[in-house]
Amino acid sequence: MKNTQSVAKGQEGKAVTTRTTFSRETSVHATIAADAAIVWALLTNASDFPRWNSTVVSIKGEIRQGATIELKSTLDEKRTFKLKVKEVEPENRLVWGDAMGNRTYSLSKREAGKVHFSMSEKIGGPLFPLFAGMIPSFDDSFERFAADLKKEAETIQKSRK
Amino acid sequence: MTSDQLTAEFEIFQGELRSFILRMTASVQDAEDIVQDTYLKARSKLDSFRGESSLKTWVFAIASNLAKDLLKSKKRWPETVTDICREEALGNRQFFQEAMHIHETSPQGKFEIKEHIAFCFTCVSKSLPLEQHLVLLLREVYGFKVKEIAEIINNTEAMVKYYLHVSRNRMIEIFDHRCSLINKQGICHQCTELNGIFNPKQKAQEELVKIEMVRAAGDRNKQELFDLRTKILQELDPFESGAAELQLHHLEHNRQVMENYLGENE
Repeated sequence: MKNTQSVAKGQEGKAVTTRTTFSRETSVHATIAADAAIVWALLTNASDFPRWNSTVVSIKGEIRQGATIELKSTLDEKRTFKLKVKEVEPENRLVWGDAMGNRTYSLSKREAGKVHFSMSEKIGGPLFPLFAGMIPSFDDSFERFAADLKKEAETIQKSRK
Repeated sequence: MTSDQLTAEFEIFQGELRSFILRMTASVQDAEDIVQDTYLKARSKLDSFRGESSLKTWVFAIASNLAKDLLKSKKRWPETVTDICREEALGNRQFFQEAMHIHETSPQGKFEIKEHIAFCFTCVSKSLPLEQHLVLLLREVYGFKVKEIAEIINNTEAMVKYYLHVSRNRMIEIFDHRCSLINKQGICHQCTELNGIFNPKQKAQEELVKIEMVRAAGDRNKQELFDLRTKILQELDPFESGAAELQLHHLEHNRQVMENYLGENE
């Protein structure tokens, strides 16, 4: 079993997945040359997601503490995931999930004008071995998510004054 | 700054302020009330004006807050506002009689396609979330810089950029889908339809080619066409133009239709 600490230290923009018998965790990180407020606005404006994010078909609901959102992903467009928004710390941390697992978004400020973004999702449970093979890999989706977020945030940051 | 100086400067940009509030509220009455209230509030708070921003920025901040107070409890208009209002107008003989009377008798009763483009923008932009609507108008029509808009709406420059980016993209998408002046597959033909009603002897194509946005539709990208659209609004005072009375009558019709529509569709 890989040390999960190494998960977060993969190459920028490249997803890293670690597997155990009862769980799977995928993560990705990127440095974004934009104000954290812009990145946070993109991550928390539900109806705007499909415009900039090629992995999201739609998100219904409001991304706020305690709310439930309905998310459709390009990973499986026929499924609607009902997710509870569990943690919201503005410009810092966002967590949503269901019984299968949680997705965590983290922002931390780096040098002036840059923010470090990381996203991870851990799924699992006692029955995980029975259906693990049916769950598609998240790697490509994670990499696209991070790339789309970086591109959009930096475009907005650079826009005219 | 003295009250006299405030009054003198206020008069210089009062027209812009009134047109801005009209485009936010779609109501002549509300625009006039808010402009007046803004002036009174600015006078009463004059001691708090430190000169950190321009007086105009400071006054627009007061006006924007008054507009937000009025609008925050009201529903936003659907982006199909012009379709809904058109359907209502077609069954409203009185509306057309009044419009024709204005057209035939008023010095501000002309119908010009350019003016209707500005009118349409006013209606459709009310489908944006309130903050995005404010930011879009302040930047794209009234020429405030991002830093000034941040002061006006009391938010960060980062958020102003975000709102501006999202609102521009949304409006571009809407007009690309709807506006037949820039997209042959556009579903809305209201500008040319109304031109046919009010100017039946005019050749619509001859009028359309006078409008830079329409001429450029084949060769410019969507962002550039949007800039040409907002340029029309920049150059037009909805209270002073040759079509003002006709367009304000139409706007009041749409406002009332929307009030009923949004009340019914809760």
